[in-house]
Amino acid sequence: MKEIRLANKILKTLIKDSFQYPSRLIADTIVVIARCGVLLVLYWYVFKLNNGVINNTTFLFSAWSIFFYFSLSTLKLRQISRLIMQDVQSGNVEVLFSKPISYLFYRMWWQIGEGLYSFLVITVFAVIILFLIIGFPSTMLIGIFIPTLILTFIFAVILSLLLYSIIGLLSFWIEDINPVFWIVDKTIMILGGSYLPIALFPTFMYKIALYSPFGASQFVSHTVYTSWQTNWYKLIGIQLFWIILMGFIVYLIFRKVKQRVSVNGG
Amino acid sequence: MNSKAIIVSNLTKKFSFSAKNPSFSWIKNLFYPEKKEIIAVKDISFSVNHGERIAFIGPNGAGKSTTIKMLTGILFPTSGEVSILGLDPTKDRKKLAYQIGTVFGQRSQLLPNLPLTDSFEFFGVMYDMSEEDIKKRIIELVEIFDLGSFVTQPVRKLSLGQRMRAEVAVSLIHKPKIILLDEPTIGLDVVAKKSLRDLLIKINKEENTTIFLTSHDVGDIESLCDRTIIINHGVMVKDLPTSDLAKAFVYEKYIDLIPEKIFNNFPLLPHGIRYSLQDKNKITVIVDINKINVQESLRKLLDLFLVEDIDVYNADLETVIRHIYERDSISK
Repeated sequence: MKEIRLANKILKTLIKDSFQYPSRLIADTIVVIARCGVLLVLYWYVFKLNNGVINNTTFLFSAWSIFFYFSLSTLKLRQISRLIMQDVQSGNVEVLFSKPISYLFYRMWWQIGEGLYSFLVITVFAVIILFLIIGFPSTMLIGIFIPTLILTFIFAVILSLLLYSIIGLLSFWIEDINPVFWIVDKTIMILGGSYLPIALFPTFMYKIALYSPFGASQFVSHTVYTSWQTNWYKLIGIQLFWIILMGFIVYLIFRKVKQRVSVNGG
Repeated sequence: MNSKAIIVSNLTKKFSFSAKNPSFSWIKNLFYPEKKEIIAVKDISFSVNHGERIAFIGPNGAGKSTTIKMLTGILFPTSGEVSILGLDPTKDRKKLAYQIGTVFGQRSQLLPNLPLTDSFEFFGVMYDMSEEDIKKRIIELVEIFDLGSFVTQPVRKLSLGQRMRAEVAVSLIHKPKIILLDEPTIGLDVVAKKSLRDLLIKINKEENTTIFLTSHDVGDIESLCDRTIIINHGVMVKDLPTSDLAKAFVYEKYIDLIPEKIFNNFPLLPHGIRYSLQDKNKITVIVDINKINVQESLRKLLDLFLVEDIDVYNADLETVIRHIYERDSISK
């Protein structure tokens, strides 16, 4: 109960904080338009060159798949790695360790709170705009779509936070986690379908996207395809498996971290 | 209730780290680096009563912050025991956090973009206080710390002095029994320092809060703390009432000599007297009264110098502390 109240307070506080800086929302919107918008225009053209169908999929499905990836990315969950690194490098970790909270629980909710306002505003407006321009694919109108989308979205958030927390926690051992962060982040981006829609992946790459934790953290991009209707329970099961495994790894690393804390001036 | 708020027994903290050895190949340095060890705190023991105001001082790198971090459960001791309000910080860190407040002078815990009230509410929730209790406590703290004029301003717009008052006030939101402050007056001007010291004394008297602070500022120690523990090179050097600290070097007297015109030469001084300052407008000498008494030394100094004025005094606290640090360093 106490944890839920604190999480709620963190989210409310950070949304209030976001209101103080409307320019942040504008910046986030520009980033999404620049990255997602350009990709959508490029794929629209590529699909047009191929008579509208590539690998049995159309632009409509691929566009929504790419959009869901970018929608999740506006939560900026990946930044938890750098936040932890900054805590370690600046010594701020000592302030948080002296509070009656779990450091990681706090940092995870903080990270969600940081991106929540941008996520809500951008997603709502982008869904409306995308619908008005290209419409919904039939798969998004089936009853099971919304509940499974929400479920896989929640699991994607948890799994992303766990994966990026592991990288962040490495900063207790290595000074600069940026090279590791870069490799994992790009792997997630590729396997999540940000550059190339997953429907266009070659078989071996699709399997990696399906069975690796990196790809599983972005299963929201799978939800618009027809295969989701029959495979959603399998994919959500894979996500759950990785959440349990990564959660256990985070737990073990964090236990070690608590004994390794060392900050400037002690 | 145990009369001791803090009990520290034979506390030691060692930090080990890998160091590159230039004589090793890079592969050996990568996989089998040389391990080095630093003893930050070595076998220290002390206890603190409820409601005491303790200064925990020492030069840079002495082990003060390391000790404070072990007391709060942030760092794990290598050996020894710590009991804070009957709790072991390594095992009961969260439970202990409800009973203690911490202020790290060089780090802020406030929410920079939001009004100060938001920080109070945020930490109130963190300490699991009811909404009603949070509101009541904010009113109390705003009054005690005189925050009324800026409590609705965003924290980033506060002056350093206002921010430090706010930091201390926020750390007291949950009425902790002990407050640990790591250099709370660092960077503050004299007025802000005095104001913060007065507020800490007020909190100590009104709420019987035990105060444990580290500082390099002699003013903090003199005006705030009734007991001083000195640590150097990780070892406890002294633990005594602050009022007795100056007496630690009572065998040394300082004599200022002001010249009738100017001092042109600085002759060899008699046994037991040494120069502290040699200036054409002022000479300060230190007299070791174990070797020569004040009357005798004055007579000999007047034979050597033509003076207009003389001032005899004990060393100030800052000098005493510096002497303790230096003496300890030499003995090491």
